[in-house]
Amino acid sequence: MVQSVEGRAAGRSWDTRGENKARRLGSVAPWAEGKVLPAGRIIEALESLIAPGDRVALEGDNQKQADFLSRSFAQVDPKEVHDVHLLISSISRPEHLALFERGIARRVDFAFAGPQSLRVAQLLEDKKLEIGAIHTYVELYARMFVDLTPNVALVCAEKADADGNLYTGPNTEDTPTIVEAVGFRRGIVIAQVNELTDELPRVDIPGSWVDFVVVADRPFAVEPLFTRDPRHINDLQILMAMMVIRGIYERHGVTSLNHGIGFDTAAIELLLPTYGEALGLRGKICRNWTLNPHPTLIPAIESGWVESVHCFGSEVGMEDYIRARPDIFFTGRDGSLRSNRVLCQLAGQYGVDLFIGSTLQMDPDGNSSTVTLGRLAGFGGAPNMGHDPKGRRHSTPAWLSLITAEGDVVRGRKLVVQLAETYQKGGQPVIVESLDAVQVGKASGMPIAPVMIYGDDVSHAVTEEGIAYLYKAEGIEERRAAIAAVAGATPVGMKANAERTADLRRRGIVAFPEDIGVRRTDAKRSLLAARSIEELVAWSGGLYQPPSRFRNW
Amino acid sequence: MSAAVPDLERFLKRRSFIELSARDRAEALLDPGGYHELLGPFDRLHSPWLPMQGIVPQEDDGVIVARGRIDGQPAVIAAIESAFQGGSMGEVGGSKIACALELARQDHEQGIPTRPVLLLETGGVRLQEANLGLAVIAEIQAAIVALRRHVPVVAVISGMVGCFGGMSLAAALCSHLIVTRQARLGMNGPEVIEQEAGIEELDSSDRQLIWSLIGGEQRHAVGLADTLVEDDAVAIAEAVRDAFRRGLPKQPRSEQVKLFLERLAAIDPSQPLDGKALRALWDQGATA
Repeated sequence: MVQSVEGRAAGRSWDTRGENKARRLGSVAPWAEGKVLPAGRIIEALESLIAPGDRVALEGDNQKQADFLSRSFAQVDPKEVHDVHLLISSISRPEHLALFERGIARRVDFAFAGPQSLRVAQLLEDKKLEIGAIHTYVELYARMFVDLTPNVALVCAEKADADGNLYTGPNTEDTPTIVEAVGFRRGIVIAQVNELTDELPRVDIPGSWVDFVVVADRPFAVEPLFTRDPRHINDLQILMAMMVIRGIYERHGVTSLNHGIGFDTAAIELLLPTYGEALGLRGKICRNWTLNPHPTLIPAIESGWVESVHCFGSEVGMEDYIRARPDIFFTGRDGSLRSNRVLCQLAGQYGVDLFIGSTLQMDPDGNSSTVTLGRLAGFGGAPNMGHDPKGRRHSTPAWLSLITAEGDVVRGRKLVVQLAETYQKGGQPVIVESLDAVQVGKASGMPIAPVMIYGDDVSHAVTEEGIAYLYKAEGIEERRAAIAAVAGATPVGMKANAERTADLRRRGIVAFPEDIGVRRTDAKRSLLAARSIEELVAWSGGLYQPPSRFRNW
Repeated sequence: MSAAVPDLERFLKRRSFIELSARDRAEALLDPGGYHELLGPFDRLHSPWLPMQGIVPQEDDGVIVARGRIDGQPAVIAAIESAFQGGSMGEVGGSKIACALELARQDHEQGIPTRPVLLLETGGVRLQEANLGLAVIAEIQAAIVALRRHVPVVAVISGMVGCFGGMSLAAALCSHLIVTRQARLGMNGPEVIEQEAGIEELDSSDRQLIWSLIGGEQRHAVGLADTLVEDDAVAIAEAVRDAFRRGLPKQPRSEQVKLFLERLAAIDPSQPLDGKALRALWDQGATA
């Protein structure tokens, strides 16, 4: 017999969320045209559909932005809508912070605030904004399914039909994940679209997950964030790329990988068809990628290096090229790219052997961060891939090659490579005694310093001086000596002991270029498979159409 | 390599002129052998003004003057190194160019047909040297005008810095101007305009817009440059030889005052004008 349990109220409704949602939908039903909201009444609609204190997921990452909805949201009456808890991947646009200045939103959970990082720090100081936490991308989405499920999602897509089916185009990115978290927990999903149409090229999100669509005043904003103009790659970056190819990719047999964005990694991509080819490495390394469609990967793809690329998002100008290379990219039946940030992050976490990225600061223990004084920039997705996932169980030669322990039970390790030129432009050392992040964390009242990649996850540190094979170092003290050995003329590097460094080189814990057969004098721009955007276009057979800011024709 | 683009192989194998240093550019335009540098880095002729301002000087002051031959004829090339201080014109580097032009003029008066070539990659006057830089640019301009009576003064703007400020006027005084699609030619650089007039006036990061206004292709299309050539050292060397084969222009561009005044008069400043519209407008003027 079931006992009456205290707190189990008789007659409790188990669908308060649904009732609440029905009430809100009812308030706009008289004038909405089915699922279509008229663009001219979007502010009124948001005032009716969003309640004070709601958690609102606003779609905006470092690439695409639901900017019509964010601009409209920033115009609602703060007397109607206030104290909103905003969930957003990337605080990128001015109006994101206008929400706080106007008192519409109060609290934010986010992952990245690159362009607005100064204002975020300022609003925090002015107590107009509270930060829940700075997350990594996947972490923020994970919490949408746990303790931060939003009441309302404001997302964007390219096209919709009257039933609310959405076509995202190549930039699918985060949309399905946000919509899933909200749509299946009685939240309200509003999608801005560029165009309403009867027939969609493909359905990326079914209409039954979506409550409203609204045609935006202009196409949603997309940043060509992953385009690096090869003209700006310098000889030092080429030297580091040569070292990475020889000393890491070739040595460990790295076949699956993710590249962070930057000129260092762009240099590696552009050396594969030239330097890599000359070393006979085609087919042996760099076959399977989790990577946005970097234009600088085109020469490697065209030269037959690349078997597959799964993408977080798309890249402006690469649409036609991707469409013409369905063997390489994941594409829909309509031919265009299907990207998915969460799945690509997952793939980049568990599926690949190597993550490599650049950092703005590294400390003597190998901790690195892109947070600098006065800026609360966040991490984006780098930490999701820039760590050794302890839940991995499948083995590959590269993963096994990092085993240093002996015994019956040992585990392999993911290669996590940090690239750093020892000095930035302007004479700032990159390898420093203490990360700015430590001070920023304290000043902002964070429980821990905002470190991007933890030193104990870093298996290799590469500078223009050489490679530190940190996974081989025995103990923290030897690790520090290895980092100091490649830290050049920075204060950290000046402490390196020549005898100690010679010993580390002998034992293969540190390698200088000559130790791995890389000649410094060979590091010339003429090694790059393409030295300009025009040459990338030529490699693509005219399929790559760079956005105007990268064109000089 | 892929065979997807038939042109790709040739395009990628060409020797990019833009990628070359000023010294290599000068050498690429001279007949093989016989390259001889005047006042090179070992002559230790650097700017006295830069060290006072905490800037490490360069022992050629960013200007390479080289003698050699073009099409078998004696030649002198003055090449500005854009990698040093943005190709800015200081007292020493500017004097090297002015003297080279002056000596070429003396050659002609003595019957030596020295061919002068200027490789202009410069933002204009070096701000750290202020009036001394301006004065020397005036000397260069006077030397071009004096020399162009005897022989075509040929200038090449290849990119990626372009040619701005007082040196854009020097380029305009030359008898024959060769540009690539990557070149830019203008008085004020786009960053300066954006800074002074605001991003609404001109977004200097919009490369397509910038090049549509002051890029090599546009400047050639409206008749402000004579030859448009691909970024290819071999093609540019041929264009230089060709410019000398053509000989003196009937009238230097800077003396075609009536034509350009009429062209300016045809512009309605109250109407927005983009690169394409200017081409249409001035094409009509050109046929007159």
